Amino acid sequence: MNGTEAAAAPLDLEIRSIRKLYGDFVAVNDVSLSVSRGQFVCLLGPSGCGKTTTLRSVAGLEAIDSGDILIAGKSVADLPPWRRDISMMFQDFALFPHMTIARQVGFGLEMLKWPKARIGPRVQEVLQSFEIAHLAERKPATLSGGQRQRVALARALITSPRILLLDEPIGSLDYSLRETVMLELKQVQRQLGISFIWVTHDQNEAFSLGDRVVVMNHARIEQQGTPDEILSRPRTPFVAGFIQGNNVFEGTVEGVQGSTLTLNTKSGPVHASLDGMPAPAVGQRATVSVRAEHLKFGPTAAENQLAGTCEAIEFFGSLRRYVLRLPSGQQLKIDQFGAEPARTTVGATTELSWRVGDTVLHTQPGGPA
Amino acid sequence: MSTIRERSPAAYLLALPAALWMTAAVVVPSMLILWVSFWGGRRFTWENHLVLDNYARFFRNETYVGLIGETALQAAKIMAITGVLGYCIAYFLAVMVTRNSVRLTLFLILVIPFWTSAVIRSIAWIPFLGVNGVINQALMFLGLTDAPVEIFLYSRTGISMAQVSLYTLLAAGPVVYMLRNVPNQLREAAMCLKAPPIVVFWRIVFPLTLPGVIIGQVLVFLNVMADFATVAAIGGNKQALLGNLVLLFYDSGQLRYAAVVGVMLMLSMLVGVVVALRVVDIRRLGE
Repeated sequence: MNGTEAAAAPLDLEIRSIRKLYGDFVAVNDVSLSVSRGQFVCLLGPSGCGKTTTLRSVAGLEAIDSGDILIAGKSVADLPPWRRDISMMFQDFALFPHMTIARQVGFGLEMLKWPKARIGPRVQEVLQSFEIAHLAERKPATLSGGQRQRVALARALITSPRILLLDEPIGSLDYSLRETVMLELKQVQRQLGISFIWVTHDQNEAFSLGDRVVVMNHARIEQQGTPDEILSRPRTPFVAGFIQGNNVFEGTVEGVQGSTLTLNTKSGPVHASLDGMPAPAVGQRATVSVRAEHLKFGPTAAENQLAGTCEAIEFFGSLRRYVLRLPSGQQLKIDQFGAEPARTTVGATTELSWRVGDTVLHTQPGGPA
Repeated sequence: MSTIRERSPAAYLLALPAALWMTAAVVVPSMLILWVSFWGGRRFTWENHLVLDNYARFFRNETYVGLIGETALQAAKIMAITGVLGYCIAYFLAVMVTRNSVRLTLFLILVIPFWTSAVIRSIAWIPFLGVNGVINQALMFLGLTDAPVEIFLYSRTGISMAQVSLYTLLAAGPVVYMLRNVPNQLREAAMCLKAPPIVVFWRIVFPLTLPGVIIGQVLVFLNVMADFATVAAIGGNKQALLGNLVLLFYDSGQLRYAAVVGVMLMLSMLVGVVVALRVVDIRRLGE
């Protein structure tokens, strides 16, 4: 983004290489992130990767050791949480047990010094729009998980914050409820145009909700981009391994011809597309990956050819997944639409192939970004 | 999960030993006191008929009636002071001290004096409060007074000082427990809803620890009402509260009046506990 654009529409959030230490432990290391107006951003990563600490730093609940955080163009690094234009939803919702639902949904307005006469009607309006008006006089202890989640959301959004921070907001809900709640939250976010920053370790959540997904590991951002970019072009071995459905090959670079790289792996030569990345030197270690749905059965005109024995067939929703064992011992996953006829059976040996263009070269750890 | 259902025979059987003990140690003696307080006649015998004379004569004496008010006032004063002081100590221990080892050390320092009896701890205040006591010597050393302050010993002030030191921890203990149970996320959620720390305390933390405050207040109230040892040791024979009156009547063989004062004490304590229970349902705290 260039300077004139930034001046015209300030970013909702800008994180400038923040760092957070707990003693000797680096919790967040050189994390930078830009969130433009009304974006839905998902921070995705395994537990302990620093995603929650990053979120809490934005809220002001953690003091950062270096870097800067800007909300709507203004630095908030030195401001306490109650002076930042944010709201936060916590994993187990953190509802105030001694307050009625109406009281705690109105709490934020009370803090903004709204007159009492205006808070009551506004709370009613919000409770109605979240379909929890009938709970107004109840206490949180008597509510179900789904109801609590709505109360927490109503309480966080009633003040119309610039950004809503969500820390695993549906992690404590029943699995059957999550999909509905996810759709609702996405709809709410679209309607209000408030930026959501959603922390999760569940990639299904991240990819179905996020306009942008930020994958974190070991306190750093591994890759950020649209769900499509991250799914189809994982940029690091970690991202390729963490995101479901990738087959990762590791080996030494044998040669580069035009935009095609040949990697010598224990399972045989694998050809990958450079896709604009700088070519690694011959003899260097490198990793590449290919998504399970790009592998095809039988020999085709495609450049990459391997053969293996089918070990298992599993179903993932509408997908049929074959797990193949190569002679080298490596496992490969192949996905096929479940509606199509099965191409092999357990125990049978089968040939498979895939195109160079579907094989993604990774940036190597410690190598050029 | 308990597999013993409420109101099942097993539940009653399990409650039996405690019930027997409470009956023998609390219910029967209380009933005896109540019975003796209604005795008529001049002699000390089981055949006495029951009359209201003892109560009538007690309430005709303005000094005795005034003593009920003074005792209640003393209890209220000590409750107020230990309540504020106890909450501050509890907040410090539970919230401000973040290292467990430090917290444990401080807690032990506060608790160990309680291993000695209340009477001993009351008497231990005498060398502090006297005319040549530690407090007066310190005040004179600092140049705050020229002559020793005489109001410490054998005065209501001295009694209050001793009682505050004796009972503050009773007020602090339950609050420490309640404070430790307030999830930090609630504080954070309130801060994210634009509540500055003072508001977070008064709107979130304090209401959630109120049951602990009430329980502490009940403990202090009951102890001050029943405290005759501190009053006798620090107050000498110049000061008396209801508890001392029981002792006075007992020593002079006026068992019926001792019983009347005993009933008065029990009644006022009962009222206090009922009022406290109306504010907070202690039975639901575990939920």
